[in-house]
Amino acid sequence: MNKCRLLLLCLLLSPTVAHAQAVLRWGADPSGGAPYVFTDPAHPDKYVGYELEMVEALAAAMNRKSVFVPTDWQTIVTSLQRGEFDVVVNGLEPTEDRARIILFSKPYYIFQLQLTVRKNETRINSLEDCRARTVGTLGNTAASRLLEKEGVPFKGYEDPVGAYRDLELGRVDAVLMDVPMEAFYARPNPRLKPAGEPFMRGAYVIGLRKGDDALKAEVDAGIDKIVRDGTLERILRKWNLWNDAQLDLRPRTAADGAAGEPKQEEVKYEMTSSSFNWSEAIWRLTRAALVTVLLSLGAMVIAVTLGLGLAVGQSRGPSVVRFFCTVYVEFFRGTPVLVQLLFLYFGLPLVGLAMPGWLTALVGLGLNYAAYESQVYRAALEAIPKGQYEAAYALGMSPVLAFRRIVLPQALRIALPPMTNDFVSLFKDTSVAFAISVWELATAYRELANASGEFMLLGVIVSAFYLLMSLPLAHLARRLELRLQRRQALRAVEAEVAG
Amino acid sequence: MIRIEGLGKVAGETRILRGVSLEVEPRTVLGIIGPSGSGKTTLLRCMNGFERITEGSLEAGGVRLEANLSEKEYQRRVKQLRRQVGMVFQHFYLFPHLSVLGNISEAPVHVLKRSRVEVEAEARRLLETVGLGKSALRYPESLSGGEQQRVAIVRALAMRPEVLLFDEPTSALDPRRSNELAVTLRGLVEQGQTMVIVTHSMKFLEDVADRVLYMESGEAVELGATAQILNDPQDPRTRDFISHAD
Repeated sequence: MNKCRLLLLCLLLSPTVAHAQAVLRWGADPSGGAPYVFTDPAHPDKYVGYELEMVEALAAAMNRKSVFVPTDWQTIVTSLQRGEFDVVVNGLEPTEDRARIILFSKPYYIFQLQLTVRKNETRINSLEDCRARTVGTLGNTAASRLLEKEGVPFKGYEDPVGAYRDLELGRVDAVLMDVPMEAFYARPNPRLKPAGEPFMRGAYVIGLRKGDDALKAEVDAGIDKIVRDGTLERILRKWNLWNDAQLDLRPRTAADGAAGEPKQEEVKYEMTSSSFNWSEAIWRLTRAALVTVLLSLGAMVIAVTLGLGLAVGQSRGPSVVRFFCTVYVEFFRGTPVLVQLLFLYFGLPLVGLAMPGWLTALVGLGLNYAAYESQVYRAALEAIPKGQYEAAYALGMSPVLAFRRIVLPQALRIALPPMTNDFVSLFKDTSVAFAISVWELATAYRELANASGEFMLLGVIVSAFYLLMSLPLAHLARRLELRLQRRQALRAVEAEVAG
Repeated sequence: MIRIEGLGKVAGETRILRGVSLEVEPRTVLGIIGPSGSGKTTLLRCMNGFERITEGSLEAGGVRLEANLSEKEYQRRVKQLRRQVGMVFQHFYLFPHLSVLGNISEAPVHVLKRSRVEVEAEARRLLETVGLGKSALRYPESLSGGEQQRVAIVRALAMRPEVLLFDEPTSALDPRRSNELAVTLRGLVEQGQTMVIVTHSMKFLEDVADRVLYMESGEAVELGATAQILNDPQDPRTRDFISHAD
């Protein structure tokens, strides 16, 4: 029953799910995601990666169209469960704890782990030498689990870029990573070198929701097909990821022959700014900025309307209303907005209410800021003398009319400066939406900076974007304030002149 | 026309008014005097519904309030009453965000739904009569106390009330302004206005009031023609108050 309702809501809320027959929606974290799926430095408006190509081939084999859904690695399984996409294809390893909550397809890639150290490192040659040192790795991966099991102190990173950068800077002494990432991010770096040979074998699989057995059968058949007909090998060779270990994936019946046969077309992506296409990056940032603007405008509309209601309820409502308004305000003011967003995004679907990420961010920020706005309005309303109400009532105005025409305009003038403040602050707070994979400006910064290594320059540009948006806002509010103040004086002067 | 019969007001444990009965004829001015705390302002506030009466009845402008009406019916009648009874507060309470013209036309336009053009034309005429013809577009904060009061009077008049209530109208005025106000108010009475004025100024009463009510401890002690109350009070309490006044 509950499940039915959830399904229905999913259908209502995310129109794309409705075409589940035709598309294969797959989720992966493109931030620092090379060579799996990542922002193409030459065309920052596009994603590339061997897994992207593989999923396209797989979807074709399944008679579907692949649709990529960028998401966050840390919460990727939860996002799968809440129906953001149909499958996870992100170098996912089949672990026991994951097996309890999701399904796994057949493996599509055999990976190994590689330890990397600084060029001048002499003490570390294998994992054994790391027992008293800190090793960087990705959080929640086979590598991090191995380190945990071996009792090696480690630090979990969000993306390989951060881990290797910290290795260079000496914040960690070694980095343990899957070979594909190591090959892409560490090997071209002259200041780093591999320590020892690749070791341990693991497999990447595709993750599916529990109960999606039909889809699993379809995916497995698709993997078989692209393994058998050499499509996968061709993609892996193109990305320089082919090795003999991959032969294990072949069905026994068609075990021989094809190796080495397909045409070689190598890809070369360097994680440097020389190949980074700035104009496309800025176009992408502009669109992300637009998302930020729309998010904050939408959230502010909710905050202003709800805040006004709360303020009136809290200062004039009956005691029950007053109580609930106060509880609301204290709750939303007293808990971090990030926690509230995560709750709305991952918690609500459990009771059958799944909203898309952008809507969650918009509603969540709106609910949160309503608490702050309500206090601004309450203070402003309380600053209006009782005589103003009496004068209005004595003229025959109804309470509603008196509030709308007499009290509200005066209160608004008092509330305008703190409101501006809140709006500017809300503007920057939209960046927490990155925690629930909303593609706004902060998320865009992280992803593009990881793709190019240009943390400094992109940081300056992104800051400029934020300022470009918040400064005019502050300016507008200041002018509005001045106009409200000056209008009286000006009119008086005009009157004198005219008279 | 105002008719009050056996009006009483109890708030909690405190008895503020008891057994007040009086009548105010149309086109006349009733002045109310009495020591502080005598209930004169409360009586005034009963006359436009700001205070609910708890005993007796009050009729003004054809609307009758009775102590034993249900709350809903009472409020319904208060709404009607306020269309007939205007009030000029001691501190005027002009709306600071509206111009003089805005202050005056706000209620006629939004409560009586009259056309703004017509209302503003009338407001300008009224302002002209109180010497504020050139101040229509000014804002309250740029007006002197006397000017603010005249705007407050015009604001009340614009609703065309049958009765106009004044709470301490001379408290912010010097003697000359006070005289001017008396002249203005008498002019309005000539045009048919009925008024009730609570004041401490005997001089002002002499100039404007037809009759005077002396109140003490929530009771209407003595009601008579202005000259009689001020010069020849009958009740010893009135006599005592008058002898100490001014």
